[in-house]
Amino acid sequence: MAGEISVSVGKNKEAEKTTVIRMRFARSGPPVWLAHLDLMRTFERSVRRAALPIAYTRGFNPRPQLTFALPLGVGLATEDDYVDLTMLEPIDPQSAVDQLNLFLPSGLTVLTGGVVSAKDPSLMSLIQAAEYLLEGQGISAAAKRIAGLPQGQPWLVEKNQKGNMVTVDIRPLLMDMYDESLDRLFIQVKAGSKSNLRPKLFLDALVRLGGLNPLAAADTAITRTKLLIADGSGGLKSPLPRSGAFRQR
Amino acid sequence: MSTVNVPRHVLQSVIKPARYVGGEWGSVHKDLSADDQIRIRFAFCFPDTYEIGMSNLALQILYDLLNKRQDTWCERCFAPWIDMAEQMRILGLPLYSLESYTPLREFDFVGFTLQYELSYTNVLSMLDLGGIPLLSADRKSDDPLVIAGGPVTYNIEPMADFFDLVIIGEGEEVLPELLDLYDANRSLVSRNRREFLRLAARIEGVYVPAFYHVSYHPDGTVAAIRPNEPGLPARIRKRIIRDLDRVGFPLAGIVPSTEIVHDRIFLELFRGCPRGCRFCQAGMIYRPVREKSTDRLVDQALAIERATGYDELGLLSLSTSDYSELAELTDRLLCHLTPRQTSLSLPSLRLDSFSLELMEKASKTRKSGLTFAPEAGTQRLRDVINKNITEDDLLTAMRLAFLGGWKGAKLYFMLGLPTETMDDVEGIADLTRKIEALYNELPKSRRPRRLEMTVSTALFVPKPFTPFQWAAQATPQQLDERIRRLRTLLRSRSVKYQWHDTDTSRLEAILARGDRRLGPVILAAWQRGARFDAWQEHFQMRIWIEALQAAGLDPDFYTVRERSEDEIFPWSHIDIGVSQSYLLSEYRRAQLAQTTPQCRDACSFCGAESFEGGICIGR
Repeated sequence: MAGEISVSVGKNKEAEKTTVIRMRFARSGPPVWLAHLDLMRTFERSVRRAALPIAYTRGFNPRPQLTFALPLGVGLATEDDYVDLTMLEPIDPQSAVDQLNLFLPSGLTVLTGGVVSAKDPSLMSLIQAAEYLLEGQGISAAAKRIAGLPQGQPWLVEKNQKGNMVTVDIRPLLMDMYDESLDRLFIQVKAGSKSNLRPKLFLDALVRLGGLNPLAAADTAITRTKLLIADGSGGLKSPLPRSGAFRQR
Repeated sequence: MSTVNVPRHVLQSVIKPARYVGGEWGSVHKDLSADDQIRIRFAFCFPDTYEIGMSNLALQILYDLLNKRQDTWCERCFAPWIDMAEQMRILGLPLYSLESYTPLREFDFVGFTLQYELSYTNVLSMLDLGGIPLLSADRKSDDPLVIAGGPVTYNIEPMADFFDLVIIGEGEEVLPELLDLYDANRSLVSRNRREFLRLAARIEGVYVPAFYHVSYHPDGTVAAIRPNEPGLPARIRKRIIRDLDRVGFPLAGIVPSTEIVHDRIFLELFRGCPRGCRFCQAGMIYRPVREKSTDRLVDQALAIERATGYDELGLLSLSTSDYSELAELTDRLLCHLTPRQTSLSLPSLRLDSFSLELMEKASKTRKSGLTFAPEAGTQRLRDVINKNITEDDLLTAMRLAFLGGWKGAKLYFMLGLPTETMDDVEGIADLTRKIEALYNELPKSRRPRRLEMTVSTALFVPKPFTPFQWAAQATPQQLDERIRRLRTLLRSRSVKYQWHDTDTSRLEAILARGDRRLGPVILAAWQRGARFDAWQEHFQMRIWIEALQAAGLDPDFYTVRERSEDEIFPWSHIDIGVSQSYLLSEYRRAQLAQTTPQCRDACSFCGAESFEGGICIGR
């Protein structure tokens, strides 16, 4: 019996056979209130329930090998997030997507999947920008006000950095901003490990500099609508080629 | 029917908002519009935080059981943390269920599981936030039936004013009958609530506190407890499931998305405990010992592991080593779970070489800490409490542990046990020193590099339905002195000492052996702001002392007073099967430091054999 127990799946030999499946997922409803660690745990357990041939990390505390693109703040919905799953054997991405969807809690949905090269740099390091939709009363007016501030004037907000309050200028982190309709504001911001603007910090700027009501800011619904990586020629592109199945904006 | 809509800014501002939104894998959502199929709405309430409540197996079992009924929808509700409760009050949001966000007051049943006395004020907070009158006597025909079950309901007297009815014994057995009765008498419930309660009280295991009158002697002890309605039994007998293999067990269960306290699958091996430790209430109220078969356990474990996606399975019982086929069970579980990267956790193991080998095997994937509970520092006191562990057992186990690579262990003791003297307290330090010596004597090559011992002392609280129900609790001064002594004696680089607060144990002792006169005290303490009393950061003994004084009650009456052998206890009308005469003989044996063999070695005819179940059969 003891012999059977110590047998592990011959991971070393199979290392070169692993396949990385990148999945685009959305979240809405109750899962919006999960912290990043909760979301990771929820995906891990869902992958286990779905019995996908997932690879495990080594060490004392083996975990399914999942890598997320960019942590999603508590309270944020998303229409365009990514997770890479390392599989022990080749698997058709679409059937992995279909299978996983059967086992995710309601509000989490995998939209598409594709194979990426295991040699690619980590997903997190590729992220360059993100787009968010902010929906809340008075957002458009406040955005207009800060956009009207003189060029060169910094947009200073307070930010908690490892327990210390620091003042940062977020203006250089905003790449684009436009109203789709009244109080539906899209912002495109720098994102990823080098420089990153969290949308809640942008809302702070709207409160501080644009006269947005703080309660309205706290009630604003935030949805991540795009995550973008460099396309290799100075532009940005999606981490997965978009398929017709997903709503395009 | 209404639903509660919590504004985003509220969820944005509270800590851990995931507690308040539901939607977890395995949570049950039913269609209310489907042809009136759902006739009973049941709110299962746990009077503590989400993370604690979701770690409770009773919740998972009863949620599964009730939701298997086509006519019932069971939803969950937990005590909102201070920040959330405050926001809800400001905005006038009623407490709601996590599945359909329905206000508590719109349910047919609001059922609390009571696991510990210090959660009582949270029951009041939840009723109040839910818009339900606190006192049973004030509830009207359209209010829910507020019911309770769980281990502390065996003496529910301090909370008797707040519940319409209480389930004595195992809910799996009683709840289906209660719900059937409710369904058949729906119009009666809204017409004449009292008449419905009269019918319910005829179900064995259902206790309606309002139907029993308690009179007191001038000294505050109980004079008599009598039914004040015709046709009711003088004593309410607990109900049990005779055969655990024949009762449903959740094969999927709710999988919380956010981290909870015990974040793993629980596999219940058996109910009851054959050991008979004299301080232990669970060991008496859950008798007789009833095991599940190994085949069934293995099937259940595999099904649950697949259905939940959990990567850890914990065996659950009062004393894992007493499962009769533990070796076979754990071998079969490990054989299935290890290749699936799922670990097995083994709490409550006895101190022996088999246990250590087992832990070694189980820790292939994850290494866990060792915990042992000698409970007392000297053999004399361990004999008093009937804890069948010797110093040799402990030293042998520690030696094997060091050789097996463990750096140490956590040792649990109790302070303030009946007959305890300072010698017994010093015995705890002696034992610890012997373990340190043992470590030092081992060759460096065969022992871990560092020794890390933890000694933890809880304070003894005499509980109803135990041989120590007559005993006095030690005074706060005595307890503080003993803690101080240990703090001095246990000063060592390799030993960490943790101790419990005396005030908390004092309140627990008041409530555990309390009577109905404490109802107004609990209400007053809650009105003065007592909340989450089990949480050190919120507990305020001052509030409780004031509330007791205002009611003209002396805390010492409940805590440090030894009861006479013929005293009528406030819980005398509850029959757990184990007889008063058995408990008393055990109390007397304790005074003489005489031990009693465990159930499997010799039947002591405690009275539990009258249930004709489990290991009592065939004796």
